[in-house]
Amino acid sequence: MVRIELYGVPRLRAGVQAVDVQASTIGDALLQLQRACPQLEPDVLTGGKLNAAYVVAIDGGTLTRDPQVPLNAGDTLVLLTSQAGG
Amino acid sequence: MAAGYFGRYLRLDLTTGVSTRVPIDEATLRHFIGGVGLGTVLLTRETSARFDPLGEESCVAFAFSPLVGTPITTSAKFAVVCKSPLTGRLNDALSSSDFAVLGKRSGHDAIVLRGRAEEPCIVLIDEAGARIEPCADLWGTEKGISQLDEQLQKRHPGFAFAIIGTAGEHGVRYATLSNGGRHAGRGGIGAVLGSMRVKAVGVRGRSPISLHAPNDVLEISRDLAKRSLGNATAKYRELGTVANLATFNRLAVLPTRNFQSSQFEGADALSGEQLQATRAQGRGSCRNCTIGCEHFFSARRGNETNRVKMEYESLFALGPLCGVDDPDTVLAASHLCDEFGLDTISAGGTIAFAMECAERGMLESYGEESTIRFGDAEALLELLGHIARRDTPLGDLLADGSQRAADVIGGDAPDFAPHVKGMEIPGYEPRGLQTMALGFAVGTRGADHNRSGAYEVDFSGEVDRFAPNEHAARLAVQTENRASVIDSLILCKFLRGVFAETEGGLYAAASHMLRAVTGWAIDAAEIEVAAERICLAKKLFNIREGWSRSEDTLPKRFTEQALQDGPAKGAVVQIADLEKLIATYYETRGWRSDGSVSQEHIRTYALDREFASLT
Ligand code: SF4
Repeated sequence: MVRIELYGVPRLRAGVQAVDVQASTIGDALLQLQRACPQLEPDVLTGGKLNAAYVVAIDGGTLTRDPQVPLNAGDTLVLLTSQAGG
Repeated sequence: MAAGYFGRYLRLDLTTGVSTRVPIDEATLRHFIGGVGLGTVLLTRETSARFDPLGEESCVAFAFSPLVGTPITTSAKFAVVCKSPLTGRLNDALSSSDFAVLGKRSGHDAIVLRGRAEEPCIVLIDEAGARIEPCADLWGTEKGISQLDEQLQKRHPGFAFAIIGTAGEHGVRYATLSNGGRHAGRGGIGAVLGSMRVKAVGVRGRSPISLHAPNDVLEISRDLAKRSLGNATAKYRELGTVANLATFNRLAVLPTRNFQSSQFEGADALSGEQLQATRAQGRGSCRNCTIGCEHFFSARRGNETNRVKMEYESLFALGPLCGVDDPDTVLAASHLCDEFGLDTISAGGTIAFAMECAERGMLESYGEESTIRFGDAEALLELLGHIARRDTPLGDLLADGSQRAADVIGGDAPDFAPHVKGMEIPGYEPRGLQTMALGFAVGTRGADHNRSGAYEVDFSGEVDRFAPNEHAARLAVQTENRASVIDSLILCKFLRGVFAETEGGLYAAASHMLRAVTGWAIDAAEIEVAAERICLAKKLFNIREGWSRSEDTLPKRFTEQALQDGPAKGAVVQIADLEKLIATYYETRGWRSDGSVSQEHIRTYALDREFASLT
């Protein structure tokens, strides 16, 4: 099980703070997230892929947009907007 | 003269009361565009080396831009440029709305104030020139800035005012200048105007703004307005910048208790999501903006409820940084800063620093005031007033900022005073965002998140935010260059995601706009050179004012103490790594390895007129 935590606009769109999915890569996890929360399309995800303004952090640490990155059971993905200005 | 400009600025000598219209040649305008670029070159030309920012020879430049007065979204902005009394270095701040439009329509590309008035005054500027009016009744009053603004507008209908508050009158080194509920916040412009005895500057005008190709300008405006409502600005429209707080807390980059931690246990209550769900009081926007990032929230204090605009930087600085988790207190503190005319980042940063000193027993000589502690809501609110009025020993000390306060307190206080070049660090934990750490270290304004967008590199997923490489340093340079163009056009930085999606990016879009407005055959490459020139001019101003290589660094807290929180556990800025990034930064800029700049390089950017004497 991989937990995806949602922040900011993704949370507003999905209406939930987190979603649990079974996935072995980031790409898998995002595809399943889109199935669970179709409202994330088109603003956050398109066809299970991150739109330009979004990024994920593995366990809140390393930030990436690479769908190939492997995940382990128990990992957490933090989905956030990459525009941090303010 | 190119369309979009008047080709002149108004210089008012406050000492003599004489105002003069000074021509600006077209080459200068093309080299510096407007806003921050134009303000920097005018400040440089109007002053001599090593002047005292609070002395009689001080100078403040208000600079407009060719886009002000056009329908292009977010273009109603102006820059205020001076030498900062906080840093002793260049200070460029931006604000927006009526003051920008009416100021430009007074028929000037910039307004320069110099000298010191005999008595407290307001300055009124229009097409006829400038006049100085004494204002003893407005100086030293307990009234907040919004009340003074109403009073001034009744007294002088048709003018838009930029006003200093109590903090500016008392020379607080991070006093703001406020107009219409917006603030040219950082670096102490309010203190500089206070030392000139200027309480407010009012502008009005009806001069038409000429456009080279009005239909093209209209088409550009429509297109940009449409695209400004897309995905790239959704965060700003729907939650505002306060959205950063919960995310930063999760990533362990939320500065907490004077940067001792990077996660805050009270973050949920202060998060943008929570404020939005429980306290939303509508949105607002600067004049002529289609995005509307301003979010208002209700704040209760006793029997009073205020509607307070809140931004992430104020939220973090007056909340987690001071260990305060009560939203009503944080909102009230932000409201107080706005009314006193205090920069929220520096106020929060300096108070948080004092709280840590007090907890370590380093403020014993301040008696009762030495009992302040992290999380003490009442102490925070009270101290803001004492700082603005300088009416208690601790308030007076903290009014000079954390760097000077640390020097007075002594011991190891300078190691954890949260500043670079004297400017308090904004809400991006440098140990968890190490490209931003570089941006802070080399920033010409000191620690600053608006002139360097290096955090974008950390958040991009392209580099390791805990160990950025040389590529990251080069990307950090690019964020500064882009910021200098946006700040000189002037447009809102919240459009940067929109420009990133544009073919050719920001520089192509900027050249398109400037061609339509001015008629210049200017291309993206020339805009990029202008970006580099503006960054270089700021750096050279600092060298002229005494910059030394040792300033480009971070306090020891960030290089010697590892974070202990969540995903950032163990993160520290290794000084050797930071030095490597700085070396790459200097090299990318074309500077010498010690950060100095050769005359040849100065000539390449046609800056030898202003900086011929630097070697
Ligand atoms: S996006 Fe916000 S800061 Fe920018 S111009 Fe609009 S209202 Fe002002």
